[in-house]
Amino acid sequence: MSQDMHAPIDWSKGMDLMAGPYFVGLYQPSPETAGFWDGVVRDELRLKHCAACGRFHHPKRIACTECGSTGLAFRAVSGIGEVYSFSEVHRAPAPAFVASLPYTVGVVRLIENVSLFTRFIAEPGPIQIGAPARVAFRTLEQGHRMPVFLVGGP
Amino acid sequence: MTKPIASSTAIVGIGRALAWRGDAERKTPLQLGVTAAVDALRSAGIRRDQVGALFTGRTPQAYMVLQYNQSLLSELKIGPTLNTEVTAHGGGALGTLQLAALALHAGVIDYALCVTNEASGIWLDQVTSNAAWEGDLQFEAPYGASTPSLYAQFASRYMHEYGVTPDMCAKVSVENRNWALHHPHAAMRGKGPITVDDVLSSRMIASPLRLLDCAVWYPGGIATAMVVTRADIARAAHPRATWIAGFGQCSTHEWVGERMNSWGYEPILDGPNLVRTGAGVAAKQAYAMCGLTPRDIGIVQSSAPFSFANLMMLEELGFCGPGEGGAFAQSGGIDFDGGLPFNTMGGYLSFGQVAQGLYNLNETIDQIWGEAEGFQVPDVKVGMVHGHGGPLACHSVVIVSREQMQ
Repeated sequence: MSQDMHAPIDWSKGMDLMAGPYFVGLYQPSPETAGFWDGVVRDELRLKHCAACGRFHHPKRIACTECGSTGLAFRAVSGIGEVYSFSEVHRAPAPAFVASLPYTVGVVRLIENVSLFTRFIAEPGPIQIGAPARVAFRTLEQGHRMPVFLVGGP
Repeated sequence: MTKPIASSTAIVGIGRALAWRGDAERKTPLQLGVTAAVDALRSAGIRRDQVGALFTGRTPQAYMVLQYNQSLLSELKIGPTLNTEVTAHGGGALGTLQLAALALHAGVIDYALCVTNEASGIWLDQVTSNAAWEGDLQFEAPYGASTPSLYAQFASRYMHEYGVTPDMCAKVSVENRNWALHHPHAAMRGKGPITVDDVLSSRMIASPLRLLDCAVWYPGGIATAMVVTRADIARAAHPRATWIAGFGQCSTHEWVGERMNSWGYEPILDGPNLVRTGAGVAAKQAYAMCGLTPRDIGIVQSSAPFSFANLMMLEELGFCGPGEGGAFAQSGGIDFDGGLPFNTMGGYLSFGQVAQGLYNLNETIDQIWGEAEGFQVPDVKVGMVHGHGGPLACHSVVIVSREQMQ
Protein backbone atom coordinates (compact mmCIF):
# COMPACT_ATOMS: atom_id res chain seq x y z
CA MET A 1 0.00 0.00 0.00
CA SER A 2 1.38 3.35 -1.00
CA GLN A 3 1.98 6.11 1.47
CA ASP A 4 -0.77 8.10 -0.25
CA MET A 5 -3.36 5.54 0.74
CA HIS A 6 -2.65 6.36 4.37
CA ALA A 7 -2.91 10.08 3.89
CA PRO A 8 -6.11 11.80 4.93
CA ILE A 9 -7.47 14.69 2.88
CA ASP A 10 -5.81 17.89 3.99
CA TRP A 11 -8.96 19.53 5.35
CA SER A 12 -6.91 22.39 6.78
CA LYS A 13 -7.03 24.01 3.34
CA GLY A 14 -10.68 23.14 2.69
CA MET A 15 -12.04 21.32 -0.36
CA ASP A 16 -12.47 23.17 -3.66
CA LEU A 17 -16.00 23.45 -4.92
CA MET A 18 -16.17 23.77 -8.69
CA ALA A 19 -18.98 24.93 -10.96
CA GLY A 20 -17.84 23.59 -14.30
CA PRO A 21 -14.38 25.07 -14.85
CA TYR A 22 -14.96 27.81 -12.27
CA PHE A 23 -13.76 27.70 -8.69
CA VAL A 24 -16.69 29.00 -6.62
CA GLY A 25 -15.52 28.54 -3.04
CA LEU A 26 -14.28 26.20 -0.35
CA TYR A 27 -16.18 23.51 1.48
CA GLN A 28 -15.56 24.01 5.21
CA PRO A 29 -11.94 25.15 5.41
CA SER A 30 -11.03 23.31 8.62
CA PRO A 31 -7.67 24.25 10.07
CA GLU A 32 -9.30 23.58 13.44
CA THR A 33 -9.43 19.87 12.64
CA ALA A 34 -5.87 19.48 11.32
CA GLY A 35 -4.70 18.07 14.68
CA PHE A 36 -7.34 15.34 14.50
CA TRP A 37 -6.11 14.15 11.08
CA ASP A 38 -2.48 14.39 12.24
CA GLY A 39 -3.47 11.91 14.95
CA VAL A 40 -5.18 9.60 12.46
CA VAL A 41 -1.98 9.08 10.44
CA ARG A 42 -0.32 8.02 13.73
CA ASP A 43 -3.22 5.64 14.57
CA GLU A 44 -4.10 7.92 17.44
CA LEU A 45 -7.63 9.12 18.24
CA ARG A 46 -7.70 12.71 19.42
CA LEU A 47 -10.50 14.91 20.71
CA LYS A 48 -10.64 18.58 21.49
CA HIS A 49 -10.04 19.22 25.20
CA CYS A 50 -10.93 22.35 27.14
CA ALA A 51 -8.05 23.45 29.35
CA ALA A 52 -10.37 25.69 31.35
CA CYS A 53 -13.07 23.22 32.41
CA GLY A 54 -11.58 19.83 31.53
CA ARG A 55 -14.36 18.69 29.19
CA PHE A 56 -13.73 16.84 25.94
CA HIS A 57 -15.40 17.90 22.68
CA HIS A 58 -16.00 16.79 19.10
CA PRO A 59 -12.86 17.41 16.99
CA LYS A 60 -14.62 20.22 15.11
CA ARG A 61 -15.44 22.36 18.17
CA ILE A 62 -13.86 25.81 18.17
CA ALA A 63 -15.10 27.13 21.52
CA CYS A 64 -16.09 25.17 24.63
CA THR A 65 -19.88 24.85 24.51
CA GLU A 66 -19.99 24.65 28.32
CA CYS A 67 -17.62 27.33 29.64
CA GLY A 68 -17.05 29.40 26.53
CA SER A 69 -13.28 29.07 26.50
CA THR A 70 -11.60 29.20 23.11
CA GLY A 71 -8.54 27.47 24.53
CA LEU A 72 -9.32 24.07 23.05
CA ALA A 73 -6.44 21.74 22.18
CA PHE A 74 -6.24 18.20 20.85
CA ARG A 75 -5.55 15.41 23.32
CA ALA A 76 -5.17 11.69 22.64
CA VAL A 77 -8.01 9.63 24.13
CA SER A 78 -8.75 5.99 24.93
CA GLY A 79 -10.74 5.12 21.83
CA ILE A 80 -13.07 3.12 24.08
CA GLY A 81 -16.82 3.50 23.91
CA GLU A 82 -20.07 1.80 23.02
CA VAL A 83 -22.49 1.59 20.13
CA TYR A 84 -25.13 4.30 20.61
CA SER A 85 -26.92 3.72 17.32
CA PHE A 86 -26.18 2.09 13.97
CA SER A 87 -27.48 1.26 10.51
CA GLU A 88 -26.46 -1.47 8.09
CA VAL A 89 -26.21 0.16 4.68
CA HIS A 90 -27.60 -1.84 1.73
CA ARG A 91 -27.74 0.92 -0.88
CA ALA A 92 -24.52 2.83 -1.41
CA PRO A 93 -24.41 6.62 -1.66
CA ALA A 94 -21.57 6.50 -4.21
CA PRO A 95 -20.07 3.85 -6.54
CA ALA A 96 -16.93 3.46 -4.40
CA PHE A 97 -18.95 1.84 -1.60
CA VAL A 98 -20.90 -0.70 -3.68
CA ALA A 99 -18.35 -3.52 -3.32
CA SER A 100 -18.41 -3.19 0.47
CA LEU A 101 -22.20 -3.59 0.86
CA PRO A 102 -23.54 -4.25 3.37
CA TYR A 103 -21.48 -2.26 5.85
CA THR A 104 -22.45 -0.56 9.09
CA VAL A 105 -22.29 3.12 9.96
CA GLY A 106 -23.26 4.49 13.33
CA VAL A 107 -22.69 6.71 16.31
CA VAL A 108 -20.14 5.68 18.94
CA ARG A 109 -20.34 7.20 22.40
CA LEU A 110 -16.84 7.44 23.87
CA ILE A 111 -16.08 7.20 27.59
CA GLU A 112 -15.00 10.85 27.37
CA ASN A 113 -18.70 11.71 26.77
CA VAL A 114 -18.12 12.67 23.14
CA SER A 115 -19.93 10.98 20.26
CA LEU A 116 -18.55 10.42 16.77
CA PHE A 117 -20.13 9.24 13.54
CA THR A 118 -18.14 6.21 12.40
CA ARG A 119 -17.93 2.84 10.66
CA PHE A 120 -18.58 -0.17 12.90
CA ILE A 121 -16.85 -3.44 12.13
CA ALA A 122 -17.96 -6.66 13.84
CA GLU A 123 -14.86 -8.11 15.53
CA PRO A 124 -16.25 -10.38 16.77
CA GLY A 125 -19.64 -8.62 16.91
CA PRO A 126 -22.60 -8.61 16.95
CA ILE A 127 -23.17 -4.92 16.28
CA GLN A 128 -25.97 -3.90 18.61
CA ILE A 129 -26.88 -0.89 20.71
CA GLY A 130 -24.83 -0.84 23.90
CA ALA A 131 -22.13 -3.19 22.62
CA PRO A 132 -18.55 -2.25 23.58
CA ALA A 133 -16.49 -0.68 20.79
CA ARG A 134 -12.80 0.20 20.43
CA VAL A 135 -11.04 2.34 17.89
CA ALA A 136 -8.98 1.03 14.98
CA PHE A 137 -7.74 2.75 11.85
CA ARG A 138 -8.60 1.66 8.32
CA THR A 139 -8.24 3.02 4.81
CA LEU A 140 -11.82 3.16 3.53
CA GLU A 141 -13.32 2.82 0.07
CA GLN A 142 -12.55 6.32 -1.20
CA GLY A 143 -8.94 6.10 -0.02
CA HIS A 144 -9.44 8.05 3.21
CA ARG A 145 -7.63 6.90 6.34
CA MET A 146 -10.32 7.02 9.03
CA PRO A 147 -10.89 5.94 12.62
CA VAL A 148 -13.36 3.04 12.74
CA PHE A 149 -14.69 1.09 15.70
CA LEU A 150 -14.44 -2.65 16.28
CA VAL A 151 -17.48 -4.04 18.06
CA GLY A 152 -17.63 -6.93 20.51
CA GLY A 153 -14.91 -8.68 22.42
CA PRO A 154 -13.47 -7.56 25.74
CA MET B 1 -54.88 32.89 26.36
CA THR B 2 -53.50 34.02 23.03
CA LYS B 3 -50.53 36.20 22.28
CA PRO B 4 -50.95 39.47 20.34
CA ILE B 5 -49.25 38.06 17.28
CA ALA B 6 -51.73 35.16 17.04
CA SER B 7 -53.97 35.63 13.99
CA SER B 8 -52.42 39.05 13.39
CA THR B 9 -51.62 38.02 9.83
CA ALA B 10 -53.38 36.14 7.06
CA ILE B 11 -52.56 34.40 3.79
CA VAL B 12 -54.54 36.19 1.09
CA GLY B 13 -53.08 34.90 -2.14
CA ILE B 14 -51.63 31.59 -3.33
CA GLY B 15 -49.96 30.57 -6.55
CA ARG B 16 -48.56 27.21 -7.54
CA ALA B 17 -46.61 25.86 -10.48
CA LEU B 18 -45.95 22.19 -11.03
CA ALA B 19 -43.89 20.28 -13.57
CA TRP B 20 -43.03 16.65 -14.12
CA ARG B 21 -39.87 14.90 -15.21
CA GLY B 22 -40.43 14.04 -18.86
CA ASP B 23 -42.48 17.15 -19.67
CA ALA B 24 -41.69 18.57 -23.12
CA GLU B 25 -40.03 21.59 -21.52
CA ARG B 26 -37.58 20.98 -18.67
CA LYS B 27 -38.69 23.61 -16.17
CA THR B 28 -36.23 25.21 -13.77
CA PRO B 29 -37.06 26.06 -10.16
CA LEU B 30 -36.80 29.75 -11.10
CA GLN B 31 -39.35 29.36 -13.90
CA LEU B 32 -41.73 27.61 -11.52
CA GLY B 33 -41.08 30.11 -8.73
CA VAL B 34 -41.73 33.14 -10.91
CA THR B 35 -44.90 31.60 -12.34
CA ALA B 36 -46.21 30.80 -8.86
CA ALA B 37 -45.29 34.25 -7.54
CA VAL B 38 -47.08 36.05 -10.37
CA ASP B 39 -50.15 33.88 -9.78
CA ALA B 40 -50.05 34.58 -6.05
CA LEU B 41 -49.97 38.34 -6.62
CA ARG B 42 -52.84 38.03 -9.08
CA SER B 43 -54.88 35.89 -6.70
CA ALA B 44 -54.32 38.43 -3.91
CA GLY B 45 -55.18 41.26 -6.25
CA ILE B 46 -52.11 43.34 -5.38
CA ARG B 47 -49.50 45.11 -7.48
CA ARG B 48 -45.80 44.29 -7.52
CA ASP B 49 -44.94 47.61 -5.88
CA GLN B 50 -47.04 46.66 -2.86
CA VAL B 51 -44.71 43.77 -1.98
CA GLY B 52 -42.81 44.95 1.12
CA ALA B 53 -40.91 41.74 1.76
CA LEU B 54 -39.72 38.80 -0.27
CA PHE B 55 -38.82 35.67 1.69
CA THR B 56 -37.71 32.54 -0.13
CA GLY B 57 -36.76 29.09 1.06
CA ARG B 58 -33.12 28.13 0.63
CA THR B 59 -31.54 28.16 -2.81
CA PRO B 60 -32.94 25.27 -4.86
CA GLN B 61 -30.50 22.41 -5.40
CA ALA B 62 -31.37 22.55 -9.09
CA TYR B 63 -30.56 26.28 -9.30
CA MET B 64 -27.46 27.00 -7.22
CA VAL B 65 -26.75 30.71 -6.94
CA LEU B 66 -25.42 32.64 -3.98
CA GLN B 67 -28.59 34.65 -3.37
CA TYR B 68 -31.62 33.00 -4.88
CA ASN B 69 -33.96 35.65 -3.50
CA GLN B 70 -32.11 38.25 -5.61
CA SER B 71 -32.66 36.20 -8.76
CA LEU B 72 -36.33 35.99 -7.98
CA LEU B 73 -36.83 39.69 -7.26
CA SER B 74 -35.06 40.59 -10.49
CA GLU B 75 -37.44 38.38 -12.43
CA LEU B 76 -40.45 39.83 -10.63
CA LYS B 77 -39.22 43.42 -10.85
CA ILE B 78 -39.93 44.18 -7.22
CA GLY B 79 -37.87 46.21 -4.73
CA PRO B 80 -38.83 45.02 -1.27
CA THR B 81 -37.83 46.58 2.06
CA LEU B 82 -36.99 43.15 3.51
CA ASN B 83 -35.63 40.35 1.42
CA THR B 84 -33.81 37.15 2.32
CA GLU B 85 -33.54 33.40 1.96
CA VAL B 86 -34.77 31.54 5.01
CA THR B 87 -32.38 28.67 5.29
CA ALA B 88 -33.40 26.26 8.03
CA HIS B 89 -33.12 23.58 5.33
CA GLY B 90 -36.61 22.27 4.51
CA GLY B 91 -37.85 23.93 7.72
CA GLY B 92 -37.13 27.30 6.16
CA ALA B 93 -40.13 27.00 3.87
CA LEU B 94 -42.58 27.60 6.71
CA GLY B 95 -40.02 29.94 8.23
CA THR B 96 -40.76 32.37 5.40
CA LEU B 97 -44.32 32.71 6.73
CA GLN B 98 -43.04 33.25 10.25
CA LEU B 99 -40.70 36.07 9.25
CA ALA B 100 -43.51 37.56 7.22
CA ALA B 101 -45.80 37.49 10.26
CA LEU B 102 -43.14 39.18 12.40
CA ALA B 103 -42.54 41.97 9.88
CA LEU B 104 -46.25 42.50 9.27
CA HIS B 105 -47.16 42.44 12.96
CA ALA B 106 -44.42 45.01 13.59
CA GLY B 107 -46.02 47.25 10.97
CA VAL B 108 -42.86 47.51 8.88
CA ILE B 109 -44.58 46.30 5.71
CA ASP B 110 -48.10 45.73 4.38
CA TYR B 111 -47.55 42.66 2.22
CA ALA B 112 -45.00 39.86 2.15
CA LEU B 113 -44.44 37.44 -0.69
CA CYS B 114 -43.16 33.99 0.37
CA VAL B 115 -41.86 31.68 -2.35
CA THR B 116 -40.45 28.17 -2.25
CA ASN B 117 -39.49 26.20 -5.29
CA GLU B 118 -37.47 23.17 -6.27
CA ALA B 119 -37.21 21.00 -9.38
CA SER B 120 -34.56 18.50 -8.32
CA GLY B 121 -36.62 15.62 -9.64
CA ILE B 122 -36.26 17.04 -13.15
CA TRP B 123 -32.58 17.89 -13.01
CA LEU B 124 -30.71 15.77 -10.43
CA ASP B 125 -30.01 12.23 -9.26
CA GLN B 126 -31.00 12.92 -5.69
CA VAL B 127 -29.91 9.57 -4.27
CA THR B 128 -26.28 10.51 -4.79
CA SER B 129 -26.47 14.30 -4.69
CA ASN B 130 -28.46 14.45 -1.48
CA ALA B 131 -25.99 12.25 0.41
CA ALA B 132 -23.38 14.94 -0.17
CA TRP B 133 -25.67 17.58 1.40
CA GLU B 134 -27.06 15.59 4.28
CA GLY B 135 -23.79 14.38 5.79
CA ASP B 136 -20.59 16.15 6.84
CA LEU B 137 -18.08 15.65 3.99
CA GLN B 138 -15.22 15.47 6.50
CA PHE B 139 -16.53 13.30 9.35
CA GLU B 140 -19.47 11.37 7.87
CA ALA B 141 -19.40 10.97 4.09
CA PRO B 142 -16.06 9.05 4.02
CA TYR B 143 -17.77 6.26 6.00
CA GLY B 144 -20.28 5.70 3.18
CA ALA B 145 -23.18 7.41 4.89
CA SER B 146 -26.24 7.42 2.63
CA THR B 147 -29.10 9.81 3.42
CA PRO B 148 -31.31 7.03 4.83
CA SER B 149 -28.42 5.72 6.96
CA LEU B 150 -28.15 9.12 8.66
CA TYR B 151 -31.85 9.14 9.56
CA ALA B 152 -31.56 5.47 10.51
CA GLN B 153 -29.40 6.51 13.48
CA PHE B 154 -32.50 8.18 14.93
CA ALA B 155 -34.69 5.24 13.88
CA SER B 156 -32.54 2.55 15.53
CA ARG B 157 -32.33 4.42 18.77
CA TYR B 158 -36.03 5.42 18.77
CA MET B 159 -37.19 1.86 18.13
CA HIS B 160 -34.71 0.52 20.71
CA GLU B 161 -35.77 2.89 23.49
CA TYR B 162 -39.53 2.73 22.99
CA GLY B 163 -40.06 -0.78 21.63
CA VAL B 164 -41.42 0.60 18.38
CA THR B 165 -41.52 -2.20 15.80
CA PRO B 166 -41.11 -2.21 12.02
CA ASP B 167 -44.77 -3.10 11.52
CA MET B 168 -45.82 -0.03 13.54
CA CYS B 169 -43.67 2.15 11.30
CA ALA B 170 -45.05 0.41 8.21
CA LYS B 171 -48.54 1.60 9.15
CA VAL B 172 -47.44 5.14 8.25
CA SER B 173 -46.42 4.00 4.76
CA VAL B 174 -49.73 2.18 4.28
CA GLU B 175 -51.92 5.11 5.35
CA ASN B 176 -49.88 7.73 3.48
CA ARG B 177 -50.39 5.66 0.34
CA ASN B 178 -54.16 5.52 0.93
CA TRP B 179 -54.28 9.32 0.82
CA ALA B 180 -51.96 9.56 -2.19
CA LEU B 181 -54.22 7.30 -4.27
CA HIS B 182 -56.79 10.12 -4.28
CA HIS B 183 -54.40 12.93 -5.17
CA PRO B 184 -53.90 13.79 -8.85
CA HIS B 185 -50.34 15.05 -8.34
CA ALA B 186 -49.00 12.39 -5.96
CA ALA B 187 -45.93 10.52 -7.18
CA MET B 188 -47.45 7.16 -6.16
CA ARG B 189 -51.06 7.90 -7.14
CA GLY B 190 -51.12 5.18 -9.78
CA LYS B 191 -49.20 2.55 -7.81
CA GLY B 192 -52.13 1.08 -5.89
CA PRO B 193 -52.49 0.46 -2.17
CA ILE B 194 -49.80 -1.26 -0.11
CA THR B 195 -49.96 -3.48 2.98
CA VAL B 196 -47.80 -3.71 6.08
CA ASP B 197 -46.38 -6.93 4.64
CA ASP B 198 -45.46 -5.10 1.43
CA VAL B 199 -43.44 -2.63 3.49
CA LEU B 200 -41.78 -5.34 5.61
CA SER B 201 -40.82 -7.34 2.52
CA SER B 202 -39.52 -4.39 0.49
CA ARG B 203 -35.76 -4.34 0.11
CA MET B 204 -33.55 -3.10 2.90
CA ILE B 205 -32.02 0.33 2.21
CA ALA B 206 -30.32 1.17 5.51
CA SER B 207 -31.48 -0.89 8.48
CA PRO B 208 -34.04 -0.59 9.94
CA LEU B 209 -35.35 1.40 6.95
CA ARG B 210 -36.71 -0.52 3.98
CA LEU B 211 -37.60 0.93 0.60
CA LEU B 212 -41.24 1.59 1.50
CA ASP B 213 -40.23 3.25 4.80
CA CYS B 214 -38.47 5.96 2.78
CA ALA B 215 -39.74 9.11 1.09
CA VAL B 216 -39.93 9.00 -2.67
CA TRP B 217 -38.18 11.90 -4.39
CA TYR B 218 -40.84 13.84 -6.25
CA PRO B 219 -40.46 13.10 -9.97
CA GLY B 220 -40.75 16.75 -10.88
CA GLY B 221 -40.81 20.18 -9.35
CA ILE B 222 -43.24 22.36 -7.42
CA ALA B 223 -43.22 26.05 -6.59
CA THR B 224 -45.61 27.57 -4.11
CA ALA B 225 -45.99 31.30 -3.47
CA MET B 226 -48.09 32.97 -0.82
CA VAL B 227 -49.04 36.58 -0.19
CA VAL B 228 -49.36 37.44 3.50
CA THR B 229 -50.80 40.61 4.99
CA ARG B 230 -51.86 42.19 8.29
CA ALA B 231 -55.23 41.53 9.91
CA ASP B 232 -56.66 45.00 9.28
CA ILE B 233 -55.74 44.91 5.60
CA ALA B 234 -56.97 41.33 5.27
CA ARG B 235 -60.36 42.16 6.74
CA ALA B 236 -60.75 45.32 4.65
CA ALA B 237 -59.55 44.11 1.27
CA HIS B 238 -59.33 40.30 1.10
CA PRO B 239 -62.50 38.27 1.54
CA ARG B 240 -60.57 34.98 1.21
CA ALA B 241 -58.13 35.14 4.13
CA THR B 242 -56.63 32.12 5.88
CA TRP B 243 -55.33 33.08 9.29
CA ILE B 244 -51.89 32.26 10.65
CA ALA B 245 -53.12 31.36 14.11
CA GLY B 246 -49.80 30.31 15.63
CA PHE B 247 -46.28 29.27 14.73
CA GLY B 248 -43.02 28.07 16.23
CA GLN B 249 -39.57 26.98 15.20
CA CYS B 250 -36.59 25.15 16.72
CA SER B 251 -33.31 23.91 15.24
CA THR B 252 -30.76 21.76 17.06
CA HIS B 253 -27.85 20.76 14.84
CA GLU B 254 -26.35 20.51 11.39
CA TRP B 255 -24.88 16.98 11.26
CA VAL B 256 -26.23 13.89 13.02
CA GLY B 257 -22.74 13.05 14.29
CA GLU B 258 -22.62 16.36 16.13
CA ARG B 259 -26.22 16.33 17.37
CA MET B 260 -25.16 13.89 20.13
CA ASN B 261 -22.73 16.46 21.49
CA SER B 262 -25.36 19.18 21.89
CA TRP B 263 -27.58 18.92 24.93
CA GLY B 264 -28.54 20.80 28.07
CA TYR B 265 -31.37 22.76 26.43
CA GLU B 266 -34.84 21.92 25.16
CA PRO B 267 -35.56 19.53 23.53
CA ILE B 268 -32.37 17.70 24.56
CA LEU B 269 -32.31 18.62 28.19
CA ASP B 270 -30.93 15.82 30.32
CA GLY B 271 -28.21 14.35 28.15
CA PRO B 272 -27.68 13.44 24.54
CA ASN B 273 -30.43 11.61 22.73
CA LEU B 274 -31.68 10.89 19.23
CA VAL B 275 -35.35 10.46 20.15
CA ARG B 276 -36.53 14.03 20.70
CA THR B 277 -36.43 16.87 18.19
CA GLY B 278 -37.05 20.58 17.90
CA ALA B 279 -40.51 19.81 16.50
CA GLY B 280 -41.81 19.40 20.06
CA VAL B 281 -40.53 22.84 21.00
CA ALA B 282 -41.89 24.41 17.81
CA ALA B 283 -45.33 22.83 18.35
CA LYS B 284 -45.51 24.02 21.97
CA GLN B 285 -44.71 27.56 20.81
CA ALA B 286 -47.41 27.38 18.14
CA TYR B 287 -50.08 26.03 20.50
CA ALA B 288 -49.18 28.57 23.18
CA MET B 289 -49.40 31.44 20.70
CA CYS B 290 -53.01 30.76 19.78
CA GLY B 291 -54.29 28.94 22.85
CA LEU B 292 -55.24 25.81 20.92
CA THR B 293 -54.55 22.17 21.82
CA PRO B 294 -54.06 19.09 19.63
CA ARG B 295 -57.80 18.33 20.03
CA ASP B 296 -58.58 21.52 18.10
CA ILE B 297 -56.54 20.46 15.07
CA GLY B 298 -58.62 18.91 12.29
CA ILE B 299 -55.88 18.05 9.81
CA VAL B 300 -52.11 17.60 10.05
CA GLN B 301 -49.28 17.53 7.52
CA SER B 302 -45.66 16.61 8.22
CA SER B 303 -42.70 16.68 5.86
CA ALA B 304 -40.97 13.90 7.81
CA PRO B 305 -39.27 11.81 5.13
CA PHE B 306 -39.33 8.35 6.75
CA SER B 307 -42.07 6.22 8.31
CA PHE B 308 -40.57 6.16 11.83
CA ALA B 309 -40.01 9.94 11.69
CA ASN B 310 -43.72 10.47 11.10
CA LEU B 311 -44.44 8.48 14.28
CA MET B 312 -41.94 10.66 16.15
CA MET B 313 -43.61 13.78 14.78
CA LEU B 314 -47.08 12.62 15.88
CA GLU B 315 -45.57 12.51 19.37
CA GLU B 316 -43.74 15.83 19.06
CA LEU B 317 -46.80 17.63 17.67
CA GLY B 318 -48.82 16.45 20.66
CA PHE B 319 -51.16 13.86 19.16
CA CYS B 320 -49.83 11.11 21.46
CA GLY B 321 -47.26 10.82 24.22
CA PRO B 322 -43.49 10.25 23.87
CA GLY B 323 -42.84 6.76 22.55
CA GLU B 324 -46.53 6.17 21.84
CA GLY B 325 -46.48 6.99 18.12
CA GLY B 326 -46.24 3.34 17.09
CA ALA B 327 -49.15 2.21 19.22
CA PHE B 328 -51.14 5.28 18.12
CA ALA B 329 -50.73 4.40 14.45
CA GLN B 330 -51.31 0.69 15.02
CA SER B 331 -54.58 1.32 16.84
CA GLY B 332 -55.98 3.31 13.91
CA GLY B 333 -54.86 6.78 15.01
CA ILE B 334 -53.92 7.86 11.49
CA ASP B 335 -56.12 5.51 9.47
CA PHE B 336 -57.43 6.97 6.22
CA ASP B 337 -60.78 5.61 7.38
CA GLY B 338 -61.61 7.28 10.67
CA GLY B 339 -58.23 8.38 12.04
CA LEU B 340 -56.67 11.81 12.35
CA PRO B 341 -56.38 13.18 8.79
CA PHE B 342 -52.58 13.04 8.53
CA ASN B 343 -50.56 13.76 5.38
CA THR B 344 -53.65 14.17 3.24
CA MET B 345 -51.72 14.39 -0.04
CA GLY B 346 -49.84 11.21 0.82
CA GLY B 347 -46.94 12.69 2.75
CA TYR B 348 -43.32 12.54 1.67
CA LEU B 349 -43.60 8.75 1.46
CA SER B 350 -46.29 8.66 -1.25
CA PHE B 351 -46.93 12.19 -2.51
CA GLY B 352 -43.20 12.69 -2.74
CA GLN B 353 -40.48 14.96 -1.43
CA VAL B 354 -39.70 18.13 -3.38
CA ALA B 355 -36.76 18.91 -1.03
CA GLN B 356 -38.49 22.03 0.26
CA GLY B 357 -41.81 23.68 -0.12
CA LEU B 358 -45.03 25.20 1.02
CA TYR B 359 -47.11 22.62 -0.80
CA ASN B 360 -48.19 20.93 2.44
CA LEU B 361 -49.49 24.29 3.65
CA ASN B 362 -51.16 24.90 0.28
CA GLU B 363 -52.95 21.55 0.66
CA THR B 364 -54.04 22.42 4.20
CA ILE B 365 -55.52 25.72 3.05
CA ASP B 366 -57.28 23.98 0.15
CA GLN B 367 -58.78 21.54 2.66
CA ILE B 368 -59.91 24.38 4.92
CA TRP B 369 -61.80 26.02 2.03
CA GLY B 370 -63.28 22.75 0.78
CA GLU B 371 -61.17 22.81 -2.38
CA ALA B 372 -58.86 19.84 -1.92
CA GLU B 373 -57.45 18.40 -5.13
CA GLY B 374 -57.44 14.93 -3.60
CA PHE B 375 -59.71 13.49 -0.93
CA GLN B 376 -61.63 16.30 0.80
CA VAL B 377 -61.77 16.02 4.58
CA PRO B 378 -65.18 17.31 5.69
CA ASP B 379 -65.47 20.47 7.74
CA VAL B 380 -61.83 21.40 8.38
CA LYS B 381 -61.54 24.54 10.48
CA VAL B 382 -57.96 24.38 11.78
CA GLY B 383 -54.89 22.70 10.32
CA MET B 384 -51.30 22.15 11.44
CA VAL B 385 -48.30 21.93 9.14
CA HIS B 386 -44.88 20.70 10.22
CA GLY B 387 -41.85 21.54 8.07
CA HIS B 388 -38.69 19.55 8.57
CA GLY B 389 -35.09 20.15 7.59
CA GLY B 390 -32.74 17.23 7.77
CA PRO B 391 -31.53 15.19 9.37
CA LEU B 392 -34.30 15.90 11.93
CA ALA B 393 -32.40 19.13 12.58
CA CYS B 394 -34.75 22.03 11.79
CA HIS B 395 -38.44 22.16 12.58
CA SER B 396 -41.14 24.71 11.83
CA VAL B 397 -44.78 24.45 12.81
CA VAL B 398 -47.62 26.65 11.57
CA ILE B 399 -51.27 26.46 12.62
CA VAL B 400 -53.74 27.96 10.15
CA SER B 401 -57.45 28.55 10.60
CA ARG B 402 -60.49 29.57 8.60
CA GLU B 403 -61.66 31.97 11.30
CA GLN B 404 -59.50 34.57 12.99
CA MET B 405 -58.61 33.41 16.53
CA GLN B 406 -59.46 36.00 19.17
